[in-house]
This record gives sequence, C-alpha cells and structure tokens, in this order.
Amino acid sequence: MKSLNRRNFMSLSAASGAVLAAGAVDSRPALAGSVTFAKGGRDFSPVTGRERKAIPTACWQCVTRDSLIGFVEDGRLVKLEGHPESIRTNGVICAKGQAGVNQVYFPDRILHPLRRVGKRGEHKWKRISWDEALDEIAARLKPLRDAGTPEKFMFQYGRMKASQSKVMSDFMAAYGTKTIGNHTSICEGGKWTSQELMWGGHYDNWDFDKTDFVLIFGSNMLNTHTNHIPVAQKLIEAHVGRKVPVYVFDVRLTNTAAHADEWIPINVGKDGLVALSMVNVIMNEGLYKKDLFKFMKVSADRKASMDEKIAAVKEQVAKFTPEFAEKESMVPAGKIRDLARRFAKSKSGVVVSYRGTIAHQHGADQERAMMLLAAVTGNVNSPGGRCQGVGAGWKSPKSKHPKARALDINHGFPGQVAYPTHKVSNQVLKMIKDGRNGRPEVYMWACYNPVYVNGEVNENREIMMDESIMPFLVCSTIVYDESSSLADIIVPDVTYLERWDWEDMVSPTQVAEYYFRQPLIKPLGESRDFGDMCVGLAKRLGIELAWKDKEDFVRQSCEMTPGVKEAGGFEYMKKHGVWHDKNANPDYLAFETRIPASALEADGVIFDEASGVYWNWHESKAKTEAEAKTVGYQNTPKSYKGFVGQEVDGEVYRGFKPDAVNKSGFLEFYSELMKAKGMPVFPTYTPIPEHVEMAPDELHLTTYKVAVHTHSRTSHCKWLSEIYHDNPGWMNPKTAAERGLKDGDVIRVHNKLGGITTNVHVTEGIIPGVIAISYHVGREHSGRYGSGSPSPIPGVADDPDFNNKWWDKHGVHPNAIIASSPDEISGQQRWMDTVVRVEKA
Amino acid sequence: MTEMTKSTIGRRQVLKGAGVVAAGTAALATPVKQAEAAKKVPRWAMVMDLRRCIGCSACTVACKAENNVSLGRFRTVIQHKMIGTFPNVTKVNLPLMCNHCTSNKEDASAKVPPCVKICPEYPGERQTYVTPEGKKIRYRGGATYRRPDGLILVDVEKCIGCGKCIDGCPYGVRSFDPFTKAGKKPEKQAVDKCDFCKHRIDNGVEPACVNTCQGRARIFGDLNDPESEVAKLVKEHNLEKSVLLPEEKTNPHVFYIDPDNLLKTAYRQREKGKLDHYVDTLDG
Amino acid sequence: MATARKDMAETAASRSNVYGLLAAVFRAEPSAAFLAQVKSSEFANVLESLDLSLGDDFQDTPCDQLVEGLAVEYTRLFIGPGPRISPHESTNIEFENPMEGTLWGPQTVKVKKFIEAAGLAYDELFDGMPDHVSAELEFMQRLATKEAEAWEERNEEFATNILKIEERFLDEHLSLWISRFCDKVIEHSEHPFYQGFAEVTKGFLEYEGKSLQAFNSGTGNGRGFPD
Repeated sequence: MKSLNRRNFMSLSAASGAVLAAGAVDSRPALAGSVTFAKGGRDFSPVTGRERKAIPTACWQCVTRDSLIGFVEDGRLVKLEGHPESIRTNGVICAKGQAGVNQVYFPDRILHPLRRVGKRGEHKWKRISWDEALDEIAARLKPLRDAGTPEKFMFQYGRMKASQSKVMSDFMAAYGTKTIGNHTSICEGGKWTSQELMWGGHYDNWDFDKTDFVLIFGSNMLNTHTNHIPVAQKLIEAHVGRKVPVYVFDVRLTNTAAHADEWIPINVGKDGLVALSMVNVIMNEGLYKKDLFKFMKVSADRKASMDEKIAAVKEQVAKFTPEFAEKESMVPAGKIRDLARRFAKSKSGVVVSYRGTIAHQHGADQERAMMLLAAVTGNVNSPGGRCQGVGAGWKSPKSKHPKARALDINHGFPGQVAYPTHKVSNQVLKMIKDGRNGRPEVYMWACYNPVYVNGEVNENREIMMDESIMPFLVCSTIVYDESSSLADIIVPDVTYLERWDWEDMVSPTQVAEYYFRQPLIKPLGESRDFGDMCVGLAKRLGIELAWKDKEDFVRQSCEMTPGVKEAGGFEYMKKHGVWHDKNANPDYLAFETRIPASALEADGVIFDEASGVYWNWHESKAKTEAEAKTVGYQNTPKSYKGFVGQEVDGEVYRGFKPDAVNKSGFLEFYSELMKAKGMPVFPTYTPIPEHVEMAPDELHLTTYKVAVHTHSRTSHCKWLSEIYHDNPGWMNPKTAAERGLKDGDVIRVHNKLGGITTNVHVTEGIIPGVIAISYHVGREHSGRYGSGSPSPIPGVADDPDFNNKWWDKHGVHPNAIIASSPDEISGQQRWMDTVVRVEKA
Repeated sequence: MTEMTKSTIGRRQVLKGAGVVAAGTAALATPVKQAEAAKKVPRWAMVMDLRRCIGCSACTVACKAENNVSLGRFRTVIQHKMIGTFPNVTKVNLPLMCNHCTSNKEDASAKVPPCVKICPEYPGERQTYVTPEGKKIRYRGGATYRRPDGLILVDVEKCIGCGKCIDGCPYGVRSFDPFTKAGKKPEKQAVDKCDFCKHRIDNGVEPACVNTCQGRARIFGDLNDPESEVAKLVKEHNLEKSVLLPEEKTNPHVFYIDPDNLLKTAYRQREKGKLDHYVDTLDG
Repeated sequence: MATARKDMAETAASRSNVYGLLAAVFRAEPSAAFLAQVKSSEFANVLESLDLSLGDDFQDTPCDQLVEGLAVEYTRLFIGPGPRISPHESTNIEFENPMEGTLWGPQTVKVKKFIEAAGLAYDELFDGMPDHVSAELEFMQRLATKEAEAWEERNEEFATNILKIEERFLDEHLSLWISRFCDKVIEHSEHPFYQGFAEVTKGFLEYEGKSLQAFNSGTGNGRGFPD
C-alpha cells in the first residue's frame, strides 16, 4: 500500500464518509453519550488510588463449591479467597479455587454464539447473534414438542448443582422432556446407589471433629474429594491436633496415605474384602457394639432377635478370614486383626471409602461392606461416626409443566444394571448409537465434555461426528474442547464468577449452610447463564416460566426459603454470602425417633407385613389401596415415596428412610432388592472378572486425580497446568524391572481398545503389578495452556504470558484404553478394572 | 454485585502483638491499635508444620494470584519427596520460600543474611520504619536489605541486577524477574523473591499463602510477641534449630515442625536462582 | 485565520470519517449494504490510488456471498476458533511485564478510564472489552467530530485542547499497538478484504501520528498538517 499523504487521505475520507453517510454501517456504536470533558476540566492521568471491592460468592471449580470472597478492581476480577464466615470452609480454598481468575480471563474463552459452517470437526464457524442461535434451537425444539415427542430433546450435564440444576430441570419439565442425562456414573454414582440400598439417601460425611479413629479406603481425600476443603481440614485437625489414628488403604502412596499413621498397600479391588475380614474379626472376638443391630436388617427375618442378628452377620462373614483376605489383598492378616480390634474398641470411628473402592464391578457391594464395618461398630449417624450428609434445604419456584416424557437411554441397556438410581451416563452414547430405545433429535449439553470424560474416547468422537445418528448438537460452554468442537451450535456460557446461584453442598459440621453465588463482574463478551438461555428458549416456545431470569429465580428462592427469608432474603445473601441457623445442632441418631400414632392413621397409610413398613400408598404409583396391599411395599413402583415409618420390635421409628428405592426403614444389609435382581443379598466379595482372567504379564491400570485439577474443566487454567501438565505412569521398581524399564523410559500402554504412549515414572509409592495414570491432561483441545495450542490450530501469541509457558508436555488421556463399562449393580463406570500390557516403546 | 461491608466479615485475630488485628481478607483490613500492645518491634516469622502440609499447592497458586507472578517463576513451592522402600515408604511435602534470615556464616554478628551482606548497594541510605504503634526506627536500606521487623526485602529501584544475592542465597529462592528492570541499571533485570506479602502484613493481614492453607500448616506471626502462635510453637517444639541448612548459620525465620526428623533427608538444595517445581509434582 | 480554521474543521471531519469507517470494519462482520458501499466506484478508486486490492473477485462477487465468506473469516480471525487475533489493546501492547497484558487487564482499565473521562460511556449492548480496537477507533472518531464542531464554533481553545487529547490517546494507546495488530491480521487473514483494511488502518494511523504530532508541536505547514 502506498503511504498516505494529505491528498489521498482526503479522498479516503470522502469515500469513507460516503460509506457512513449511506447508512451502511448498521452495527451499534460502542460508545454512548457525547464528549463533555471541556467543561469539567478533568485531567486524563490514570486514577491511582485503586479500590478493591470485596464481594461474597461461591466457587465452582469442583463440586465442593466453597464460599468465596472475590476482589474486584475497576471492574476486573483480581483475586479470590475463602469466605472467612463459612462454617463449611473456615475461609480456606484450594489451588483450583485460587486459580478461578484464570477461568474468566483465559485467552481462548468462547465469548459469542457460533454456528458450524463446515463439517463436524472441521473447525469452521460463523459468529451468530444470540437471537439467531435461540431461533435456530427453538426451531428444532418446537416441532418435537408439537408432535408430542418432546423426549427427543435430550439434555446432558456434567456439573449442575443447586439452583443451576433446578433451573435446568424446571425448564426441561416445562418443555416436556425428561431425557436428561448427567455424569454421576463416571464420578461416584455407585457409592450413592449402594447407600440408597442401605440407609436411604446418599452422601456420607465423616464426623472428624468428634471421631477417635479413621480408616480410609481408596480415597485421596486430603487432595481430591467431592467435599475436599471442608473435610480435609477437619481430618488434619483430628489427626495432628487430637492425635486421632488414621490408616489409609490404597494402591498408591497418596498425599493422604503419606499423612496417615500408616499407608497400607492393597491390591486393586480388594477394599471390600478387607473390610469384611475386619468385620469377621470384630464379630468373632465379640468386639461389636449392639446398639445399631436393632435397626439393621441382616437376614430374611425382619423380626430376628439380637442374638439371631449377631449370629447371621457372623455366618455371612465367616469365610472372610484375615488369612483369606491377606492372600487376595496383600494386607497382612495381623494388620487386619490389629486394626479391626483398635477400630472396634475406639469410642467412635469413621470408615471412609471412595472411588478406589467403588469404581469396580460390584463396587457398590464393596461400599456395602464399608457400611457394615461402620454399622457393627456402632458408627453410623452417631457422634464421631459415618453420618448422612446435611446440606441446605432451599425452596425454589416451580413452573407449570405437562407430563414429561423420556427416552429410555439414561439407564443403560436393558438388563445391564440392577439399580441405576444415578443413571448410567457412561452408556448414553452407546445407547444412542444402538438406537433401540430411540435417539434424540436434539442433543444439548452444558458444562460437560462427553467425548473426553467417558471411556472409549475414540468411539465417543465417532458417534458424535455422525450426523445420521446425532442430527443436531448444541453446546453451552466456555471452552472449545473435544466435544464442543463437534457441536452444530455453540453458545457461550458464563463462568461461575459471573452468575447467580444459591448453593447447598454438604456441611462437615452436620449443620446446613445456605450459601450464595453472585456475579463478581459483568459477564465477558456475549456469555450468558444457561438459565437465562432457557428463558430465551421458553419465550420462543411459548412456555411460561415461574421466574423471569436466573437472578429472579435465586431472588425468589431466597424469599421463600425458611431461615434465609427471615434473615433478610436475597439482600442479606448478597451482602453476606452465607447463612446458617446458629441454634442448629447435628441430628445424631435420628433413626431412633419414634413416629407418632397420628401419622400412622393418616389417610392412605397402610402397613406392609413383609417389610414392616408403614407407607402412604397415595404417594406411590399404585392406583388403589387394594392394589397397593396386594402388590406390597417392595414391588409397588415408587412406594418409597410414601414411607412413613418402620416397625422395629413392636414400635414404629423413623428408621433409615428410603429415598430412591423401595427399601425398608432398616439399615439394610440383607437386601431383598439385591436378591430380586440376582445380586448378592448380603455384602460379599466378588472377584472382578477381568482381574481373574489376567495373564501373568498383564497389569492393572488404575487412574487417579491430583490436587490442582478437576477431571476436565481446569486444564485451560494456566496456573494449574503450569504445576501439573504431564502424567507419566507410576510403576513400582519391581514391575518396571520385570519389563526392563527405568525411570523416564517411553512406554506403550495397550489393550484391545488401543494404546497410549507415555513415560514411566518408577516410584516406591505404588504396589507392584499396577500402572497408575492420572486424569486431567492429554487434551486434544482445551485452549493453549491445556493442549499446548489455541485450538484448533496454532494461533497468534496474543496472550503475553503465553511466551512464558515453559512446558511442552501435555500428557496422555488414559480413557482411550478404558472401556465404558458399568457396574452391574449401580451403573458406576468401572474406572479401576482395566487390564493392560506395558512395554518399552 | 454487592460490596461486602467491613462489619459483615468475621475477624480472626492473626497477627497478634503487632498492634494490629487482622481480618481474614486483604481488602477489609483496617489496622486497629491495641492499647496494650507490646512496644517491641515485631519480628515476623513463619512456622511450617510438616505434619499438616498435605502438598496441595494452594499456597503456590495463591502466591501467583496475589503477587501477579508470571509463568515460569515461583515465589513459594512445595517440594515432594518419597522416602523409603516399598512398602515402608513415606513422603514429605516441604514448603519452600525465602527464609527471611538474620545472619550469615562468616559473620554471625552482622545481623544480616548472606544475600544482604553481598549486595553492593548495601548499606545504603538510612530509612525509617514505623512500627504498628507508631515508633520510628532507623535502618539502612539497600537493593537487598533487612527491615527492622525482620523482612528481607528487595528494592528494585536500587537494584543493579548483578545477581550476587542470587548466588549468595544458599536456598536458591531468589531469581531475576525478567519483567522488572533493575532501577539503577535498567538494561538488567531486577531480583525478585517472597516478601512475606509485605503489602498485606503492613495492613494487618496474613500473607496470601497462609490465608489459603487448608491444613493450617503455615502459621505466621510475630516471634517477639510471646503470646503469638509462632512464638509458642517455636518454644513448644524447640524449633530454633529446625530450619533449612542450619550449618549455614543464616538464622532463618521460617521454622519447620518436623517430629519425624525428615527435614534433612527431604530437603534438596535448589539450583541457584530457581525454585523449580514441576519435577517434584510427579509424586504429587 | 478564517481559512485555516475552516481547513482545520474540514480536516477533523475528514479524520472522523476514516476513523468511523475503520471502527465499523472491526466492530462486526460486514453487512451487504456496507459491502455495496465499499464496492462503489468512489471507494474503489481510493483503494486503487492507494495501490490496494480487496481481492481480485471482490467487485464481481455478489454481496450476499461476500457477507457469508467474510462472516466466517471475521469469526476465524477475531472470535475463534481460528488464529483468533485478540483485537484488544491489553493483549497486543508490549509490556515490560507480560502479566499486565492479560485480557481485561490493567491496560484495559486505563483505556476505559480515558474514554470515560471524556464523558462517554460504553453502550450497554456493546459486548466487547473496553479496549476493543473498534471502541478505540470510535473514540477517535468522536473526538475528531467534536473537534470539527469546535472549529466550526470558533472555539479554538477547545479545539486545540481536543487535538492534544487526540494525540495523547494515540500516544498512550492506539499507536502503541495498532500496527502490531494489523500485521497479525495481514499475516493470518485468508481474505484480502481484511488484509486490505488492515493495511489502510495501519497506514492511516501512521499518518495520523505524524500529523497530530506536527500540529501540536507547531511544525508542518501553516495549517498544522504536513502535505
């Protein structure tokens, strides 16, 4: 180009003026108002005295959702810290929480609605307006609804909780679809199903403030946990401050194991067996506490006497001697005896178990073994014991809705899973591919990455690429990742630091904390809360919602929730961020509460002789009282919803109230429900088929998480990926020597699903016979700090700190060689059952 | 968006004896004079309780966020180290940062650490430090210098970027900040390291790494105040010698509670000028 | 003097025009109406005189077709996924400390405060960052318009003041990063349209810098602007 002089400048100007004058510029101006500086005589020097506003809100990096204080300077979020008044967290947050700022300002963030214009996966996009995006989505949704097939609209989420989840389900119900998928089976769904079969409800808290002994199985809870900060700090306090003994069973020397009195290495999949053998010792040596037996169901006879119950448990665990357990688990029999005795003799104790225990075939049964160990020692819902989690009970507005319909693709293949109470998300894509139960015409997801987070990554990608089986894909996201890159329409979600929510995560003190999330800054770009997107869709579909927008939903909830309302409702929460009832105390031993006779005489309440349950048949699916009585409590669909009380020794108690399955009010170990599905009636030890068939040169592949990342939502956070971005496989020196491997060697890890290449990290901190590969990394797309390049192609170095990125390894993703395979009891993804061969590459 | 008022946040008294009460969070801090406060100059110190450090790296990230540290550098890290042979193996998580030392090997009476002693710009002109009670104390400035409250600080305006302090520090916690010019030699980079979050403690708020530590493994306070938690811990656990590289006679003011005597085995002396971090997290 | 003032008014109005056009180019994907005007003979002649082309087939391609192609290109260039050239001052300006150069960073705040100090506010519906290239160009457009008015109203002191402010905004902001940004667009664009306008933008801002400096320092010809 020639350089400008006055002459061509003037002609450029004239031509420019003509373009402008023709009204051809239809975009809105960026600036409003008029230039007015002359009058005020204001100076232009940058304002120096900076003010930092402190705004209470809540984290969302992981499901723990700690309360936060956000510091804002000139409309910019500059720092996050814990909320010092939170009774859940005491003002502490973790590394991920500290890096929340990165979520807002990472340079590859999606900030505008996009429509795919190339082929799926071709990465060709056109920015569209929100109106266009919503019109297009609505144009797909309306005919489905009009045709009476709203269930062909499927929504699936990775992380939705509290008001976020309520808003979504309210909109979906108002639309008419119940084809709603989640991600719980790849998390810890099996644990929840198991607990629902035993004590009803799900989520356990451990009363570390009062406990006297801690046994931890398969959980690195000091670093990674669904209620991380609240429970971890209490565990440290108990262990260091009160010298409470802590023993950790794990295949790896985790940071939790390293801080215990002892790390007890254990073979993969044997946690339940060791717990059963501890029960064996406790029963045989008479160390059990009788208190809870009254409320336990341990045999077919619900009226069994105390002695009969004790005898039944003894008999059930008789074969699980410490010697047998040692043979299978490598935990020395003497150690099992010693810990069993000390645990039973302690005034109180907790049994912690997590994914290492439950992400197996029959992992749900291993969780039952854990609960049995807690129960025979009297440590269930008791001070210092394993307690049912207590979270906030928010009320929220509900819209009118038709009877919703669902495609049956969220519960696994027919006959695959006995009790998929938390769905079988790991089979959703396979079911869509299979097609026997129908396929969604519109598949929408939010805060989820189905390709990456499930097993069999390559198959997931193929399914989502196939327009013939997944015709229309919509994604609400902040990041261009392995799944959003395949969408037809991407809408920009807000980050958690730009939105309204009420929150309810479990409190470690057993006293509910009601807390709150509010925008710290105006959402960047055109990003929009998922709930507000629902409002836009509702308008186009002629659906009336009971709330104007997400903020209004949260406002209404605050004004209708007892306690919060009296404290000052929405305005109080905006100002304080947290509320709890100062007079509330933990509700220990609530199962011993008697049910008043009047409750048993209410309309519809009938007694079921087989189970001893009083229940209100109106609440169930039974059509008549006669039908309810004939079919009975256990077999009437949704009978559990009418549960009133449990007859125990002639009295009626609150018991362990069911909330997902038709169990009785007993703490059920002998489970008629399990029996009905051909599953083990009493907690037992079932060897994992893949492990039984292992060849001598094969290894277990186990996976794990680290403290500085969530599974899939933080790799674009530079401060976190700087610390953790590569994941060589951990291997014991003995196992490495057998394969001629030394630390750092490049290895190929493979099985029939394929192979991955990584380095080996030879370490004493893992049992022989195993390779452990973490999650989090190995990203195909996740922004420049996650995958190494601004997806999908190397872009422009326009994030100055990117020049300081010093790491060039970005890890591997083990899911490529892990089958998407559910536990047949619960649907839990079997992360820990994979078998591989490892060779020098 | 709502601004939180000062009164809505509970206060936790953290920095006792210094005449200030600390709020839990930086912005809300209002120094409050305590009438009965000790008249002594504070001596800031940190205790690292190895029993409580769970290697979560929250401190590392909090420091990055608080001090706007670019990628490639750390002011504080956790060093992970496995010790033993399977199955008798354990692991130490060792938080590392500037030790804010008081003396040096050659000259124990110098009352300055090796990094200050070696600084060509030290001793410089006299400066005045005002205690939280308003007492004025004169001291010598420098590019690297010791403030009367024990903080070892870098004055980038006076720095000439010679790097002698980086070599002088036996702990390798100092590094060139590629993005800050040395004030006296702008063609060179200035030196950077942990400053105990001076901007926070001067306002009565504990450092960012302490604020976020879930195990309460980092305890910060005034060693000169016998009522402070750090003073009590140092006394109770006899921590005077429980520091990194005691043979260097640097008299560090970061103490380690180390009942299992792992400090010596676990500590790997750092390469000069670099708190490398990633190599350790393989065992994290 | 009257002639000089008239010249100044005309110059300011002219500069405002160019800023306005360039702001529109980077604000959003071009509309068919906009493209029709760019295709006009007047504009084409100017481009030719500057030795610039918006593509061999630009004139012959129907506007509707151009609209689609340019929308995809705009997305690729400035929205992502694609090379995704961040069109913001804070991410393009070279800082001593790169931590300053974050999206919505301290530099963004400086731009925002500068603009707001002039009595302007960001439109509620404007969804870019405060230091988006189009906002900065529009700000200069507004200043130049105001300046032209001042000359017309014979308020020389005010007009001169505005000129100083214009120079200051260029010196402290726009000039510091615009050519770097334009170079990225020229390098990464797959469409001559954006390459061409990036050239114009770069060239115009260079010219502007020289002109304003000359005027404010009193050099140049009697009118304050170099020929």
